[in-house]
Amino acid sequence: MTLKHFFAAFALVAFATTSVSAQTLKVVKEHGDLACGVSEGLPGFSEKDDKGQWSGLDVDLCRALAAAIFNDVTKVRYVPLSAENRFEALRSKAIDVLIRNSTWTLGRETEGVIWAAVNYYDGQGFMVRRALNIDSALELADKSVCTKSGTTTELNLADYFRNNHLTYKVMTFATGDETSTAYESGRCDSLTSDVSQLYAQRTKLAPPRDHIILPDIISKEPLGPVVRQDDFQWLNIVKWTQFAMVNAEELGINRNNVDEAMKSQKPDVQRLLGIEGNFGEQLGLTKDWAARILRLVGNYGETYERNVGTGSKLGIPRGLNQLWNRGGIQYAPPIR
Amino acid sequence: MKKTWIWMLSVLLVTIAETPMHAQTNQEMDMMALADQPGYVPNASEEQLDAIYQRQPVFYRTTESPGTIVVSTSERFMYLVEGNSRAIRYGIGVGRDGFQWAGIHRITRKAEWPDWTPPPEMIERQPYLPRFMAGGPGNPLGARALYIGTTVYRIHGTNQPQTIGHAVSSGCFRLVNPDVIDLYGRVPIGTKVVVQHAPTL
Repeated sequence: MTLKHFFAAFALVAFATTSVSAQTLKVVKEHGDLACGVSEGLPGFSEKDDKGQWSGLDVDLCRALAAAIFNDVTKVRYVPLSAENRFEALRSKAIDVLIRNSTWTLGRETEGVIWAAVNYYDGQGFMVRRALNIDSALELADKSVCTKSGTTTELNLADYFRNNHLTYKVMTFATGDETSTAYESGRCDSLTSDVSQLYAQRTKLAPPRDHIILPDIISKEPLGPVVRQDDFQWLNIVKWTQFAMVNAEELGINRNNVDEAMKSQKPDVQRLLGIEGNFGEQLGLTKDWAARILRLVGNYGETYERNVGTGSKLGIPRGLNQLWNRGGIQYAPPIR
Repeated sequence: MKKTWIWMLSVLLVTIAETPMHAQTNQEMDMMALADQPGYVPNASEEQLDAIYQRQPVFYRTTESPGTIVVSTSERFMYLVEGNSRAIRYGIGVGRDGFQWAGIHRITRKAEWPDWTPPPEMIERQPYLPRFMAGGPGNPLGARALYIGTTVYRIHGTNQPQTIGHAVSSGCFRLVNPDVIDLYGRVPIGTKVVVQHAPTL
């Protein structure tokens, strides 16, 4: 070993030890449960029923982490957080991971936190009455649009119409409820908000089928799980939990066929389920980490459909959240 | 006739016996779904689908050219590609287990209020079906049919709107009549049809 090599090796060891100094996984295991920061109640994402049971797309990601770590989805402590105090709760270690429909932005990542993945691509869209008989936002010229005042929604709307050289009439309201009521009573032709919110608002209209959400998305709102910047091992665990669920859907492995899949001869399937290779232990988990997730929670498509898709009241089309080879942009790097 | 009765009765008994045994997953519900009801005429409100299965424009990225029909059997949706990352999505009923298939074909024929001549394979499985039924509102093929390549499969309407979103057919893709009329007006003979498979383990 030359002196140069010695220093290189030394630097590598020093880097490795500082980067895992936080040891979130160890803390979680010692504590016996995962502290998952969620919303105070958002249909489809994180919501508590009258029996105290949490459910939603975000909640299923908390459960998937508990499945991978403890092989037990009940070992999650849900911490409901407001939009204002969510990042401070993560930074102060009151929670281990934040999965609270939070938009990934540069500004937020300069403040000590980092996004591990995107579990839902949201964005601003439009709802209109089906009877209006239009199927593109570009047909909204000279129509009136209701929106909440003083939000980025209002600014995005102005940008979109300006960029497309369209004129429109905007009507703003102080609260989401007032905006929704104004649309329902026919004061405006269209309602604009994030698409996931529009689908939630549509469930309250009578009947919902008289309204459609246009396919146009005019802003980027990538939502995903967030961790602190001090622990690469933990970042990887959260990231690859989401990726394992997306890869499983692509490979056709779900809650019902995971045992059958254990016998598969396909290398991709064998690697994901830990039959071949040992990626789980390299992550700090067990060989069968992904099989645990699939058995106890399911693949990405299953959690999508059950919480926000065809199996839920919301009925949001997969759209951007469909797999990359099926019309969407959900894409997970390979497990190998 | 007597044989048919016994057969139908046994199916019914098996169904009753099995129902309470385990939770009804979607798949099991599909297998228990209604048989064909030739002669039944649905009313307009039955043809109003849930918001999820209603015809609607959606975001859809694909390398297929505009005008192509993409059938996603596992999703129970049919997409008519419009380009610019958009498609019109229709809710469909698909083949039951063992009757699902995949491939690339073209539309070879279009027909309004088609007659129904169940193919011999179908008669063998379901001997109680009529040998021929003239086109019209009670016809299981519904208001329009689009013939897929030289296969026995069609994209057609239905007199059973409640089967949309389920796996019930013998491999055909069914839409409610207002939707198949809409699709019929948009696609010419020669349209490419891509039927996608669910991945296998």
